[in-house]
Amino acid sequence: MAWGGGGWGGPGGGGMFGGASARTGLPFGGIPSELQAEATKLLATEPEHAPSALTFAQLPNAKERQRLSLWRMLADQPWLLAIGSVLVIAVSFLLQLGPALTQFAIDHGMIPGHRDVRVVIWCAIIYLGVALMSVWMQRLQATVSGTLAARVMHDLRIRVFTHFQRMSLDFFTEEKAGVLMSRMTSDIENLQQLIQDGITSFASQGLTMAVITIILFTLNVSLALWTVALIVPLLFALSVWFHHASEKGYLLVRDRIAFVLADLSESLYGIRVVTASNRQRRNIRNHRHVVGAYRDANMFTGRVNAVYGPSTIMIGILGQALLLGIGGTKVAHHQLSLGALVAFFLYLNRFFQPIQLLVQQYTALQQGRSSVIRLRELIETPPTVDETSDAVALPTIAGRITFEHVGFSYLEGRPVLSDVSLDIAPGESVAFVGPTGAGKSTLAKLANRFYDPTEGRVLVDGIDVRTVTLRSLRSQLGVVPQEPFLFAGSIRTNLKFSRPDVTDTELEEAVDVVGLRDLVSRLPEGLDTPVHERGQTLSAGERQLLALARAFLARPRVLILDEATSSLDLQSEIVVERALDRLLEGRTAILIAHRLTTAQRADRIVVVDHGGIVEMGSPDELIAAGGAYAGMYAAWLASGGRDATTGA
Amino acid sequence: MAVSHHLDTDVVVDEVVNPLGGVRSSYPGPRAEISRDTSLTWWRRVLPIISSHRYTFVGAVGLSLLSLIFQALVPNLLNNAFSDTLERHHGSLRVAVLEIIAIGVLAGASGMASRYFLQRTAFEVEADLRSLIYQHMTWLSFSFYDRVQSGQLISRANSDIRSVQMYATFAPLILVQCASGVLAFGFMLTIDPVLACIAMVVMPILYIVGIKMRRVLFPISWITQARLAEVATIVDENINGVRVVKSFAQEEAEINRLADAAERVSWAYIKDAQIRGQWSPWVQNLPQLGLALVLGFGGVMVIHGHLSVGGILAFNAYLLMLQAPFMMLGQLVMMGQRAKASAERIFEILDERPDIVERPGAFDLANVRGDIVFDDVRFAYRDTTIVEHLSLTINAGETIAIVGRTGSGKSTLARLINRFYDVSDGAVRIDGHDVRDYTLESLRANVGVVLDEPFLFSVSIAENIAYGRPDASARDIEAAARAANAHEFITKLPEGYSTVIGERGYTLSGGQRQRIAIARTLLVNPPILILDDATSAIDVHIEAGIYEALRTLMSTRTTIVIAHRISTITLAQRVVVLDEGHIVADGTHEELLATSPLYGEILAQSVREDL
Repeated sequence: MAWGGGGWGGPGGGGMFGGASARTGLPFGGIPSELQAEATKLLATEPEHAPSALTFAQLPNAKERQRLSLWRMLADQPWLLAIGSVLVIAVSFLLQLGPALTQFAIDHGMIPGHRDVRVVIWCAIIYLGVALMSVWMQRLQATVSGTLAARVMHDLRIRVFTHFQRMSLDFFTEEKAGVLMSRMTSDIENLQQLIQDGITSFASQGLTMAVITIILFTLNVSLALWTVALIVPLLFALSVWFHHASEKGYLLVRDRIAFVLADLSESLYGIRVVTASNRQRRNIRNHRHVVGAYRDANMFTGRVNAVYGPSTIMIGILGQALLLGIGGTKVAHHQLSLGALVAFFLYLNRFFQPIQLLVQQYTALQQGRSSVIRLRELIETPPTVDETSDAVALPTIAGRITFEHVGFSYLEGRPVLSDVSLDIAPGESVAFVGPTGAGKSTLAKLANRFYDPTEGRVLVDGIDVRTVTLRSLRSQLGVVPQEPFLFAGSIRTNLKFSRPDVTDTELEEAVDVVGLRDLVSRLPEGLDTPVHERGQTLSAGERQLLALARAFLARPRVLILDEATSSLDLQSEIVVERALDRLLEGRTAILIAHRLTTAQRADRIVVVDHGGIVEMGSPDELIAAGGAYAGMYAAWLASGGRDATTGA
Repeated sequence: MAVSHHLDTDVVVDEVVNPLGGVRSSYPGPRAEISRDTSLTWWRRVLPIISSHRYTFVGAVGLSLLSLIFQALVPNLLNNAFSDTLERHHGSLRVAVLEIIAIGVLAGASGMASRYFLQRTAFEVEADLRSLIYQHMTWLSFSFYDRVQSGQLISRANSDIRSVQMYATFAPLILVQCASGVLAFGFMLTIDPVLACIAMVVMPILYIVGIKMRRVLFPISWITQARLAEVATIVDENINGVRVVKSFAQEEAEINRLADAAERVSWAYIKDAQIRGQWSPWVQNLPQLGLALVLGFGGVMVIHGHLSVGGILAFNAYLLMLQAPFMMLGQLVMMGQRAKASAERIFEILDERPDIVERPGAFDLANVRGDIVFDDVRFAYRDTTIVEHLSLTINAGETIAIVGRTGSGKSTLARLINRFYDVSDGAVRIDGHDVRDYTLESLRANVGVVLDEPFLFSVSIAENIAYGRPDASARDIEAAARAANAHEFITKLPEGYSTVIGERGYTLSGGQRQRIAIARTLLVNPPILILDDATSAIDVHIEAGIYEALRTLMSTRTTIVIAHRISTITLAQRVVVLDEGHIVADGTHEELLATSPLYGEILAQSVREDL
């Protein structure tokens, strides 16, 4: 009999579907060309999905405040859950009818003295019917549990992602990026697997074990005792050992393949340095070690698999020998019917799979549980910058920004800003200059509530920013960050990001205003040219122009530019600055200036140092005053004009 | 030829610093390469690698055949035991039990050995393929890297290697399983030929269903992967671009974007479940249908005395034994198609030949003076002529700046000197000899280039600086860092020179990275130094310090500086202005200011009139 046979695929061998790339954080390599035709055919059956029309509110509603649990997620789909459960139970029973029918046919149709062709034929027909019925019910069950899992995960994805959107800037640190990513990907995919296969399988295997055990005991108590007492614990122990060992091996393999790919990827990205440094031979030897370590980890899982699979086969055969010995003696002494012994043999086979699967699924169940716990912790983390429940929408503003005795610290006891007071009039442009770490960026981040001041208040048009909704505030304050971030998509989608309802005329106007026309007309696909790999097809200057156009389209009353020209070469800087002039017309602007060319064009310069304002005034006033700014300016001129930096 | 470096199997393993924190491997590297003959079928090309592991491989196949034969014997023994001892009451039950126990132990032992050897072969083959691809790519020329996207290349190679490895090692196993299926069928025939044929009716259907199922399951799981990648991209963008999202208050739009992507994932998952639901219950229940047929027809035979009850039991067992090979045969076909396509993609990489290779009789560049001559050089890249009729003499010890607008070809000049690329016409000479006459290693050891994008590796700063001279002492490393004006900031880092940088380590600013890249080249102390926009992110004061250090360190060094900034340009003794692949002006800074309008224009962009 085909005993057990488990252990081939094993956790170590599951790279079949390209899942390896998901685990190792590599970009998706695309669907292999040989599968493309079938994939296209499948995709043709996909209906047009209606675009989502979800709304976002900073404060979670009652449902979103509910504690996250697996059970509650499932209970949100009551019908699918109920149907799925009924099907699981029904299938578990149906599948165990075969051996019982065989036993009945033998004992009531084939044994000398009880021969009856009709019994045999009817049993066979019922058996056929049962098998066809199982096909139908399993099919239904697979669809139901698949749909259930997909729906639940769809909702969960949106729920977790919505929570991301509620969180404040301090939550998205560089160190945490990987963790947040894995919550949204691997943790949710874990749960998907658990709901689709895990729970169903756990329930049906458990049921199967129970059903078989009951049947065996009804057939013959002492033979059932022998079977259950000898084989079950042995197989169970073996399976538990296997899963511990292969889990260990799996983690080792995963770590080591990550090293292999990291080494490969560094060597390729740095191939110019490798070649220029004549490092090829050494790197090849080094890579052999890395590959060798990976091979060794694979060998470990290989040994574990080699022990487990054949062991289950061996236990199966020994179990049959045991049954034959004990059961055969009983049949000879007429303590057991021949049909019952045959049934024992048939059921013994069916005992193996559930035990192996139960142990396997138990691991999945635990992983799923810890994923739920991690997701729950994430969802229960409150944002540091939040709306109050009575927040109102900020009316259209004129653009006055007032800092009132503002103090701020990222870490308690280490103030970055203290007692800063500043009033920026509507339409005025103010440049913050000062050394790196002086607090000029922080000051700007308080205006649009990326952070809240630890002391004092920030007012927009006289209204405390903490009393208004975040959306109404931020949609009137545009920010161009230092590193222009582009989304995967075309130039057009990136431009439209700030205001999805923007018209084509407005789009074209923005392109002209910021000086992107040259680029757009040069590109073969114009505005629809895709920007790859976070914008690497465009130069730094072009990316910056895109970011400016984006801000231009948002038409904010207040514009905050965070050292927007610091990483540009000369030609690009000139173009960007020309665009800036257009952008700033009639707007309140805060310019965080790295290069003094930017600062010089502001109405007022505020020199920030040691967490406070050192001096302020118009550029000419400050140069004339001979203070800190005058010093910076002199140094800048001396070092060849435009290239000087204000920082160290 | 550079290709000859491919298989230097005589490596001394111990000299390598291991990156895995002390984990060492005895892996000796591949013992064979793929066949170079592109006319062969894909598996013939892989064969040399497999046959370099022939002992474990043949052993594995032989042992699994043995194990399967043992397993196939069990139902037959049971059948005999049933009919002899239980139905006809002669023969010894004890002997039958002992026989089965012995066979069980043998089947288990041979099974363990066979699986061990088989997996060992599989993993050795995988390691060989990975090593081969790595060493091959290491020697490829930049024209290859200009063409491909590294990230996707790695991802693709990774899954392709796995699929070839799986097929190459599991195909024989599946064939062995099929052999055991034939054996099982043989046993069934000896019990009863008619019933054997009836029982087999469902098997071909099982095979067809298996193939059909996989034909649709593979694409849908790739579609699912692609869509999960879409979701991951959106999440990644919202984490890294959180400022943009929040600045424009676009949270709602992003949530809807994610919801749309999630909807597409849901569709793929549900489709996957439906396809599985459509086929996999048949796979699971077809053997049951066979068993039902056996029960009906076999039962009637038992009644008529043509078969024993043990026969029904044996048929049950054999049918289940046959189930695996028939299902796997379908899998084999699918895996074969996948593996073929994967292998072809791997061959595409392995068949790629480097275009920058050494000439036969190349000699080492030694005792360099540092004269560089461009003699009527033309360089075309992918049908675009970048440089034409360019002649330029750079004297030993000179510091020269090459200036020009974007696309003027100034970076190209640098890359021709150390043969990152080769000229299309004309020649580049160092000390009177064509650079193509020198060995590549000696050429690159003597021509140091600091590139515009300072690539650093995820190792410590000291190791990064010592990248080109791994045996450098701590003192030399520090001296190079001082010359590059990097020592001061390095010592302020939490762990100084041992600070690990890069993805999993400390993040440095652009200027700091450039200074480390300069230190890396200075440590090699090349007599010819090319700085390709290598100081663009460095503060002007620090930059001046670096050039000062360079001057005092080695006055005989030939230095080529490619730059935009006036502060950098004025550090050179001589300036060459390049436009559209031609030299349009050549002289000192002052001379050019007076004579070259283009030079004036380029500089005018540095010093704007209004300031």
